[in-house]
Amino acid sequence: MKPIRIALTKGRLEKDTVALLESLGYDCSQLHNKGRKLILSVPDAGLEIVLAKAADVITYVEHGVCDMGVVGKDTIMEYGGSFFETTDLGFGRCKFAVAGKKGQKENLYTGYQVKTIATKYPNITRHFFAGKDMDVRIVKIEGSVELAPLLGLADAIVDIVETGATLRENGLEVYEDVAQISARLIVNTVSMKLYRQRIEEIISRMEAAIAEKEAMNS
Amino acid sequence: MQKYQLITPEGTRDYLFEEAALRSRLQQMLADTFSSRGYHEVVTPSVEFLDVFTAGGNPLPVEQMYKLTDAKGRLMVMRPDNTTPIARLCASRLKGSRLPLRLYYSQPVFLAARKLHGQWDEMMQSGIELIGVSNPKADLEVLVTAAKALENLPVQQYSVEIGHIGVFHALIQELTQESEIQATLLELIDSKNYPALNDLLDGFGDTPVVQTLKQLPRLFGGEEVFARAREWIHLPDAVKHLDELELLYRRLCALGLENRVSVDLGIVNSADYYTGVVFKGYIEGSGVEVLSGGRYDGLHRNFGEDMGAVGFAVKVDAAVDVLLKNARHRPAPAQVLVHCDATHQVKAMEHLDTLTESRIRAEFSVFETLQEAVDYAKEQGIPRIDVVGDCITTMDPREERGQGA
Repeated sequence: MKPIRIALTKGRLEKDTVALLESLGYDCSQLHNKGRKLILSVPDAGLEIVLAKAADVITYVEHGVCDMGVVGKDTIMEYGGSFFETTDLGFGRCKFAVAGKKGQKENLYTGYQVKTIATKYPNITRHFFAGKDMDVRIVKIEGSVELAPLLGLADAIVDIVETGATLRENGLEVYEDVAQISARLIVNTVSMKLYRQRIEEIISRMEAAIAEKEAMNS
Repeated sequence: MQKYQLITPEGTRDYLFEEAALRSRLQQMLADTFSSRGYHEVVTPSVEFLDVFTAGGNPLPVEQMYKLTDAKGRLMVMRPDNTTPIARLCASRLKGSRLPLRLYYSQPVFLAARKLHGQWDEMMQSGIELIGVSNPKADLEVLVTAAKALENLPVQQYSVEIGHIGVFHALIQELTQESEIQATLLELIDSKNYPALNDLLDGFGDTPVVQTLKQLPRLFGGEEVFARAREWIHLPDAVKHLDELELLYRRLCALGLENRVSVDLGIVNSADYYTGVVFKGYIEGSGVEVLSGGRYDGLHRNFGEDMGAVGFAVKVDAAVDVLLKNARHRPAPAQVLVHCDATHQVKAMEHLDTLTESRIRAEFSVFETLQEAVDYAKEQGIPRIDVVGDCITTMDPREERGQGA
């Protein structure tokens, strides 16, 4: 039987995803001692795990070389693509927000000058401001976006905000929320149909585990 | 300026040897399936006026079309779709024809795909349209043809999935008239985005229609889907379409397709285009569907003809890619190389004709010397050389060592 292959996002979401898989009873020992291996198997479960960068998770799932994936809503919003987005996994919660220098929110939303927005997420930014009928100039930044308004390059930024500590320490504040984010389970549209029973079982077990966890926390 | 003389544009590719052979073989197999069921081939121009594809609010993505202008400055597009030109044809040269029309095509469409995602801009499509009838018999005929088309391809496994856009339309009309919300709901149901769908629908209270819409993307699978669907779907309009779909499903099963056909009431893509039964076909090894189609009773109205139609297209390239992954064969070499000196060219050509007429694959050697011909035959794996002089001598190039041996 062909194993169901799941792509996991490396880094921020990795620990929580592995914890979720373990709570379903999957043997994740290979994931803890992965060494340099890129494709890891989960013994006795007919599963294979691939660790990949967030945007690549979408690419692999979209092409069907991975059947399922765990990826942040931020990546889905930025890169799009066609796949099923079946489950909100509940972890990796944070938000997209517009932020800028403290006390200068008014400047961003008034006046006829075109404002400059720095971001790592140009598509989300374009879509958000287009929805507000605001023409903005978008500058893509690869590293710490918070620098851009401090250096005078941008009037504001659009970025992920978890605790807001980085913003505060640099004299910035959130002007406006753009969207809430959390980790999502995505499924290739053909795999969902060809391996329906096995995939639906994984999904419903995940949903049950998440509901249980939420019940414990509340 | 950078020169692009040696590469093909992104999203396009050259087909070589076994790739080209496989593609035309699949096209031929599909064409055979279609013509055996009474469909006739049509070929439409590669370039058409943009207006053809925007008539009457046709929801094709204008941004993704390849556009050009003709000598008069009129806006043209590379054919982005095969169904629309055929609708144009039915309203012009085929106007007044005895209905139904059974047409098939096998020609590429051009649409700019997202870049750097490994998708193609030029895609070969072979498909059929059954035009002029809007009834369950026509739906059955086209679905059976779709199943036959996949069955006749050299693939291991295929499956066909059916749905009915009418169920979704009925529910959504009951919920809201706001087209923006309808569009969002469509997107969420199509991507089986259960969490976001629930969030959006929670704003409409806990009515039966809301509960049903929440279930819609989950209603996929085998026969049991109908029983599950009936627990949720009570709206008379929706029930009517569900009945239609179930009848179709049962007929397909009775034809021996019960292991091939499944149901998904959450197929709602292109809901502004399709009006009835919708379906998709999958083969193992392809991450995208290789066949898609459905009933589109509105399109012909855009060209002034009020008639129903149903059809589908097979994405030939997607099937080619899967089959090439499984087996990649270099093309077979010629069986005979016919060589001669400068004075015996006519005789050699006549000899080559006699070989090819008896279905022996033969190449005419264009080399000056026999040695070059021998070396060439060895490299290509051609097992026999016929040297035409005053008489014809046959030799095995593998036994030839060097000059004069």
